[in-house]
Amino acid sequence: MLPFSFEYERPKSFQEAVTRFQQADQSGKEPMYISGATEFLTLGRINQVYTEAAIDVKGIPEGKVIQFDQGYLVLGANLTLTELEEANVFPLLTSTSKQIADHTARGKITLGGNICGQIFYREAVLPLLLADSQMVMVGPEGVKVKPINEIFYERLLLQKGEFLIQVATDTRYLHAPFISIKRRQQWDTGYPLITIAALKIDRKVRVAISGLCPFPFRSNEMEDALNNLEGSPQEKIQNALASIPSPILDDVEGSSEYRLFVLQNLLLDVYEALKFGERE
Amino acid sequence: MEVIGKSVIRKEAQDKVTGQAQYTHDYHTSKKLSGRVVLSPYGHARILSIDTTDARKVPGVRAIITGEQLPLTGESMRDRPPLATDKVRYHGEAVAIVVADTPNQGDLAASLIQIQYEVLPVVHTPTQAFQQNSPLVHEHLGEYEREKDVYPVPGTNIAHHVKIRKGNMEKGWGESSVTVEGDYSFSPSDHAAMETRSSTAEITPDGTIKIITSSQAPFMVKQLIASYFDEDIGKIVVDTPLVGGAYGGKASVQLEILAYLSSRAVGGRAVEIFNEREQDMMMSPSHIGLDAKIKIGADHSGVIKAMEIQFLWDGGAYSDKAIDLTRAGAVDCTGPYKVDHVWCDSYCMYTNHTYAAPFRGFSHSELSFAVERTLDLLAKKLNMDPLELRERNAIQPGHTTPTRVLLNQSNVGNLQECISKLRTLIRWEEGPVREINERLVRVKGVSCSWKTSTIDSNAPSGVILTFNRDGSINLMSGVVEIGTGTKTVLAQILAEKLKMDVDKIHVRMTVDTQTTPEHWKTVASRGIYMAGRALLEAADDVIAQLKEIASIVLRAPIEDLEVAHMKVFTRDDPRISVDFKDICYGYQYPNGNSIGGQIIGRGNFILRHLSHLDPETGEGNPGPEWTVAAYGVEVEFDRRDLTYRLIKAASVIDIGIVLNEKAALGQVMGAMSMGLSFAGRETFYYDEFGRVLNPQLRTYRPIRYGENPEYLVDFVYTPDLQAAYGARGVGEHGLLGMPSALGNALSLAANVSLHHLPLTPELIWKTKAGNV
Repeated sequence: MLPFSFEYERPKSFQEAVTRFQQADQSGKEPMYISGATEFLTLGRINQVYTEAAIDVKGIPEGKVIQFDQGYLVLGANLTLTELEEANVFPLLTSTSKQIADHTARGKITLGGNICGQIFYREAVLPLLLADSQMVMVGPEGVKVKPINEIFYERLLLQKGEFLIQVATDTRYLHAPFISIKRRQQWDTGYPLITIAALKIDRKVRVAISGLCPFPFRSNEMEDALNNLEGSPQEKIQNALASIPSPILDDVEGSSEYRLFVLQNLLLDVYEALKFGERE
Repeated sequence: MEVIGKSVIRKEAQDKVTGQAQYTHDYHTSKKLSGRVVLSPYGHARILSIDTTDARKVPGVRAIITGEQLPLTGESMRDRPPLATDKVRYHGEAVAIVVADTPNQGDLAASLIQIQYEVLPVVHTPTQAFQQNSPLVHEHLGEYEREKDVYPVPGTNIAHHVKIRKGNMEKGWGESSVTVEGDYSFSPSDHAAMETRSSTAEITPDGTIKIITSSQAPFMVKQLIASYFDEDIGKIVVDTPLVGGAYGGKASVQLEILAYLSSRAVGGRAVEIFNEREQDMMMSPSHIGLDAKIKIGADHSGVIKAMEIQFLWDGGAYSDKAIDLTRAGAVDCTGPYKVDHVWCDSYCMYTNHTYAAPFRGFSHSELSFAVERTLDLLAKKLNMDPLELRERNAIQPGHTTPTRVLLNQSNVGNLQECISKLRTLIRWEEGPVREINERLVRVKGVSCSWKTSTIDSNAPSGVILTFNRDGSINLMSGVVEIGTGTKTVLAQILAEKLKMDVDKIHVRMTVDTQTTPEHWKTVASRGIYMAGRALLEAADDVIAQLKEIASIVLRAPIEDLEVAHMKVFTRDDPRISVDFKDICYGYQYPNGNSIGGQIIGRGNFILRHLSHLDPETGEGNPGPEWTVAAYGVEVEFDRRDLTYRLIKAASVIDIGIVLNEKAALGQVMGAMSMGLSFAGRETFYYDEFGRVLNPQLRTYRPIRYGENPEYLVDFVYTPDLQAAYGARGVGEHGLLGMPSALGNALSLAANVSLHHLPLTPELIWKTKAGNV
């Protein structure tokens, strides 16, 4: 049960959602967009999320699409992870997102919610970072489309009143060779110690990582080190490790030293699967 | 036998699977107030001031209670204020209660209570607590009221000390040509029962104190509240509905006290204290931690000659049940082996952790981890098969326990047979290590355990049987249905005894302490053991009464009568019979004359010949019988990543007799699952202020379906002559050997000696790097 009262609205269009948000904001209600609401409910009950106006965007039709359009796959941000998994139009995304939370929660958690939530793992964003997806956002200034690598830095840089409605991905990435591995503190349940997603395109490997730092990231420097044609795979991995961002997480899931040990092995697995830094 | 051994479906099963079953929090009275508890934000801090001014202004607030003027509580030693006064001793300790009309009003007011703390140095581990210069958790330890067999050491953090002195250590070491030793440790963890604890209390105008609580010990609630607060025990009525998992955590009495105090503060109105998950994990008592040192001496052939053991139990901030846990660990300290020379010091240590409740197995899975890991070190040093080493030293009739109880054919099971069956079950002939490829290896680890139940030597259990007009029977026992199916098994025992249909036996599922005969506590795998005996006595009582009246009706001597199929009949000619329904409420002759009357059966049981332990040597009889068991765990270990999967887990338990096959298998497998979960992943993590960092199921993650191994269970059948149909306790035993067998498997697989729990890949990595 949530310890605070709030107004609940479920607008039928994104224009209406934005208007409601602005109205609530002007009344000082600290409005918040929600969709699957898993984080709203679970963090709300322990006072880590608060709002007096929850605007539920999951009824907006644009947020539910799965369609191919002019060489792009367009996915609605309000699709649940289970719906994405069942449709399986973007196998790397399926492979990564089906490791998030648990079966029951994935029936509620949405693509947009996972990417824009407070819990910083945001693993569903990893495939999008690798595939240079376009993020479609709506807000007071209307519809905005931005390449993810310009608008996602640690988190999606939304303006006040904006929310993510769709994600568009060039279809040539959909069937590129990939690997996605989630390593946890123990066994198959829990947050990532590290989740790594990798994709090979144009003879180069791309990697994106969650759980290593308190944000998901894709690093050009790391990729350059891995794709370097010189040196052994181990040397490439060592060079890549030298350019990881900071800080490295050190928490109940695992120490930072151990995370580096895990990452090193995961990069070896990526090498086994995709063979980076080799002349064709 | 007709009913014993059959997988009779639990009588509460239908309600549970359809969601109709009612637990404590499901009972709603129309005007129930909510008591919200303010928890300590620090592990150890002085309370400088508590200001409730703003909180009292919140609408709906009826009372705010703080700790002054309240008596000390605690089961064996009264060291615990119900609400912290002067200082807080653990993160999550209850400091104040707001009683309000709704939980939200209560929470709002609770957040407005201003408490000033001055942080004190934290005692993080029992080893630290044991050091001379350690900060003290209790400054006035010598002044606490306590039971006479509790031995605190004032001026230290030692709440209790149990000594075992058996044989002659000098002689033992002299006969030993090989010695091994090891230090082990793990932090407290949680029970993680599905139903969090809750209690509601109400004091009616006539002074009756009514408590509904999710508890394993409703009769203890009544006794303790009467004693702590000088209430009339007959005026206290405790109701316990179905309990949604307990595992020992609901044997402690805590929320009932808070609910009682809350109701008292608002003129007796009903107040509920309901634990949210975080509060259940931090405030309510936890699963005990342990630091242990084990030294074993043996001769060249592997015969154990001496064992020296030190247990520093992490009792947490208050001694409560940790005193009994300390004693239970001492009495079975060697594991199930013949050891003539034993020296054990078992200390109940105060730390700044949540205080300890019992945990399924009552100290035994914990001590087994330390002892059985050391036994594997011994096997390695002797270059001996670890199962052979255990078999060679296995405890047997004619041997004595650490507290010098002479074992016989009845009071101990057959460990050698358990080991022998385990060999087959886990295909030990294949050897412990099988290489899959360059990285993966499949490895088996083994262990053994024993356990007696060190419950109070005068603990009672009673049963009442009444009839319905159709001749069916109502069975009333004070055993709480905590999910173990005990009440169904009691119905089976009665059905067997009376040779009648088990569906004609109606079991009272809930307990109320006013009308249900007392069963001491539903703990220690003693439900069937004690209530079963009480039930047989009640059944005999019923049979005697039925025969007495039937002998008049049938004009036959009592000696010639038999009872079966809800009839009493003559042995030689069963056609001469009378139905239960015609005599259970008296027999009426055709002319209206009546004889006899309502038949009420009664039975009780009390354990015999148990004794207190000698304070200097530990000599004494701590419990009725020892269930023994052997275990194996097989893992698939990745030598590069140091990760592993659980492949198989096996338990062979000397159960005496199987009363309900599916229920027994369920108990054993459930316990194994819990043991692997504890061993593999469950622990509390703390920061430098002693704060629990993972008091949520997001970050505290019991094992999930799919992570489990294949469970293999087999039984050995050595009857306990004291028990109903020979059945030994089996509720806990599947758990006891899991941490040690897993630890042994992984130590072999990773080629490194693992001495801590949980056995995570990171622990293995750190141990290999020498960083533990």
